[in-house]
Amino acid sequence: MRLANISKSFGATRAVDDVSLELHAGEIVGLVGENGAGKTTLMRIVAGELEPDRGTVLAPAPIGFVHQHFVLVNAFTIAENLALVGATASEIELPDESRLVADLSIGEKAKLELMKAISRKPSLLILDEPTSVLTPAEAAELFAVMRRLAANGTIVVFISHKIPEVLEVATRVVVMRGGKIVAEGGTAEEIVREASGVRRPRRRSDSAGMAGAPRITAIVGVAGNGQAELAAKLRREAKGVVAAIPEDRTRDGLIAEMTIAENLALRTSVPAEQLIANYNIKASGPNQKAGSLSGGNQQKVLLARELSINPNVIVASEPTRGLDAEATRFVHDRLRDAAARGAEVYLITSDLDEAFTLGDTIQVIYRGRLSQPLSPEEAAEQAPRLMAGL
Amino acid sequence: MTRAIVAVAAALALVALAGWLFGHSPIDLLTILLGGSLDETILKAIPLLLTGLTIAVAFRAGVWNIGGEGQFIAGALAAFVAARFGLAAALAASVIAGAAWASIASLLRWWRNAPEVLTTILLNFIAINVLGWCVNGPLQESSARYPQTDAVSIALPQIGDVHAGVVLAAAVAVVAWWLLYHTREGLRLRATGFNPAAAKFAGVNVEAQIFRAMAVSGGCAGLAGGIELLGVTHRLFERFAAGYGYSGIAVALLAQLHPLGTVVSAFFFGALATGAGELQRSANISATVATLIQAVVIFTMILFGRRERA
Repeated sequence: MRLANISKSFGATRAVDDVSLELHAGEIVGLVGENGAGKTTLMRIVAGELEPDRGTVLAPAPIGFVHQHFVLVNAFTIAENLALVGATASEIELPDESRLVADLSIGEKAKLELMKAISRKPSLLILDEPTSVLTPAEAAELFAVMRRLAANGTIVVFISHKIPEVLEVATRVVVMRGGKIVAEGGTAEEIVREASGVRRPRRRSDSAGMAGAPRITAIVGVAGNGQAELAAKLRREAKGVVAAIPEDRTRDGLIAEMTIAENLALRTSVPAEQLIANYNIKASGPNQKAGSLSGGNQQKVLLARELSINPNVIVASEPTRGLDAEATRFVHDRLRDAAARGAEVYLITSDLDEAFTLGDTIQVIYRGRLSQPLSPEEAAEQAPRLMAGL
Repeated sequence: MTRAIVAVAAALALVALAGWLFGHSPIDLLTILLGGSLDETILKAIPLLLTGLTIAVAFRAGVWNIGGEGQFIAGALAAFVAARFGLAAALAASVIAGAAWASIASLLRWWRNAPEVLTTILLNFIAINVLGWCVNGPLQESSARYPQTDAVSIALPQIGDVHAGVVLAAAVAVVAWWLLYHTREGLRLRATGFNPAAAKFAGVNVEAQIFRAMAVSGGCAGLAGGIELLGVTHRLFERFAAGYGYSGIAVALLAQLHPLGTVVSAFFFGALATGAGELQRSANISATVATLIQAVVIFTMILFGRRERA
């Protein structure tokens, strides 16, 4: 596969800027970079979903593309969704294919997307943030599949923020920043530095239990264990102003057809310019359509709106999914601020690290049941076991 | 905007071409078609503007109100009955009746999830037949000769050669624009139309928005019926609605569902309807040419709309 001098702009934003790249059969390429670095745009150009403004694309066919946002028919069963794309039996399996997609967990939907993509026996497989919704075990399963495909000559491109993961599975790492390829390979430290463009080592955020974060309850569990129902229940039973960060961003998040300003004004009266500046949202201005923002920036808009209404209760489902390190830390800080102001914060996450980073109290959800509230120390010992239902 | 101009140009070009094939001069044809009298154009544009707003408001909220025709009739019937209490009462009754008729569809949607595309169309047939029964029965003129009512005792005041409905309709368009684009409720209504799930998450009461949009939408159609009765026909008869409810769809789509755009687009279709009548008289070309143009405009707008898919 060969890309030569690819450029693509959306309005005033140059999403991809003169990128040339050559990939070879059997490679597993980790494509890393912060939100809005142009990774997804570049891959959509490769897949023929977007026309580049300039440059040439030489790509093999067929191409399998697993999007960050799912493209499934909710009213169809698993089997029907597979039949729709002519998918046959695959090496990955989901139990009970007569279940409706609408009833599947996010993790299961991700798996179904992967089944669809693989069944076409692609010469090029592109995975956009596939592990952000997967449990560690599911991710390991995915990596095994990736390695097997690569061994059979498929080019696998793996877009991710999780650098340790990328280093684990990729045979080659490509770093993007501001629409350009800025580096190839390197250690985790170097990659992070190149991706952010900041020449300083990153510190880990302070861990939980510190003063200033008095009331954050982290609810941790493997995706599909009743988190959605729990979030709905918490929202319903909460008193006062409730802020909600939905798990399914495409469906429940921003309104793609409306501008950033309009999406904000749905709930908040804080001026859009101010929130765009405060939340470091990369946009051409308040009148940019929300749908044309990168996933991470959409999440920032959503957070900006929900946190600016001075909520009494915050129910945040996977608030940092798909965000880069900088944005993740930013979101964590905002949630701590809100808790410090007296808001009751429920963080529902499948990321145990995130639960430890933020939660004063940690509860594990498994098959719709919540464990006893645990202190971080207790959780460190018990949570992995409880998450597995043992 | 470009899309609207392309749609209009395509429609007119097609008509000119068809005329030319049948031996008419395309220039003459278009001159007659677009050169009808201004007064008549305005008279035709008034109901079209209001039924266009009917569609624009509903579609913006994501409800497919195809029942403008029935709501138009409901409004006219109510205005006829309430005419004895004065002009203001008659107009108010037309708005309320149109809103109520449309709300049957939103009630059915809420109660049984009945698709409003179907229920509003079915309600059109009911309204048309109720009107037919009224003008042949309880409301038939005292001489009982034709299937029509007596003339109403009151009428809208005249402004020059057109009736005062023009001011009302224009005011409704401006108010609708202001409500949709400059109020928080309007923002919520549009959010509901684009993505009800996300709107719900943002704290919008989606059910209430749909009810309200449908009532406002139906109210516009009802008012159109009331104004048509009190300003133009002065009596009810079987084919009173004359397709205004359906033409509103073309008006709104050409205006890309924008209330102020609807003013321009209603004027265009008003001119077309006037010109089509003239064409029939002078060139013996059927006035259905106006309907044909409406159809071509709708097709073009849909074909060249939403080219980008998410």
